[in-house]
Amino acid sequence: MATEQELSDFLKSVENRAFKRSVYHVRNEESALDIVQDSMMKLAEHYGHKPPDELPMLFQRILSNCTLDWFRRQKTRNALFSNMSDFDSGSDDGEFELLDVLDISDDSQQVESAESSTQRAQTLREIEVEIQELPARQREAFLMRYWEELDVAETAAAMGCSEGSVKTHCSRAVAALSKALKAKGIQL
Amino acid sequence: MNHAASKLNASNQDRFALKLTSRLSDSADALPHDISERLRTARMQALGAHKQAKLATSSQVLSNGMAATLSLSGSDSDLWRRAASIVPLLALVVGLLAIQFLGNDERARDLADIDSALLTDDLPPAAYTDPGFAQFLKSRQDH
Repeated sequence: MATEQELSDFLKSVENRAFKRSVYHVRNEESALDIVQDSMMKLAEHYGHKPPDELPMLFQRILSNCTLDWFRRQKTRNALFSNMSDFDSGSDDGEFELLDVLDISDDSQQVESAESSTQRAQTLREIEVEIQELPARQREAFLMRYWEELDVAETAAAMGCSEGSVKTHCSRAVAALSKALKAKGIQL
Repeated sequence: MNHAASKLNASNQDRFALKLTSRLSDSADALPHDISERLRTARMQALGAHKQAKLATSSQVLSNGMAATLSLSGSDSDLWRRAASIVPLLALVVGLLAIQFLGNDERARDLADIDSALLTDDLPPAAYTDPGFAQFLKSRQDH
């Protein structure tokens, strides 16, 4: 059973990546914050008694489900208020917020020269844009597998699909990202 | 050969993916202050919910334990309560039987007294059925 300190440390270790992952999915910082908060609450309320080594898998699954719920709610909302949703879900806003994030990250990297810092930020922005452009399942598989560092079986369990599907999604995602970044002249 | 090539391809794929995600980690580590603060608040709320859920669970366990204890000790008292509820009913039945028995006894004794009075009287019981004797009694009463 996870102690309060272990739960706190775990949430602290995953909150930033969870937020960024949600932003890549929903392209809206407010919604991403809501999703992360919901996920944290659900984990703490319902699975806080689980051993610490089970928490990462559970959290990934809850985060995926909360994101899916958000999309479902959006779909219902869009069906009900199609005109309003067109106004609300402007992707320009999301991109603008991401630029803000990049500006802040520039400030934190004072040791780098302004030029390399700008180039680095630009590269990151391009990577983030390309990740957002991936199909949802590919993006989810890619981020879980390589960013959250879950193995294939864990990713498959969290996504509720077969291991083969995870491999296919990951492979396609990497191929698409590689191709897109190469076309933009970005070398890693 | 194909297997080796695909393995190499997979390892290249992994390497490329890890390079990409390391860049993403850099950006995740440098979130704006307001976002970090809101995440911290969300974390605190989640921990509060965890604490409450834990308290609720422990109080539930305690109340369940107490209920179990009560029900365990209550098995004897339940028996006594049932026995106590039967006692008035039993008393009522016994009382009714006693009344019936005593009533029958008294009635039989009364009848026996009448019979014995009639039999021990100087006048035979058959005289009361005689119309002449009845007339004699009536005329005596008139005088």
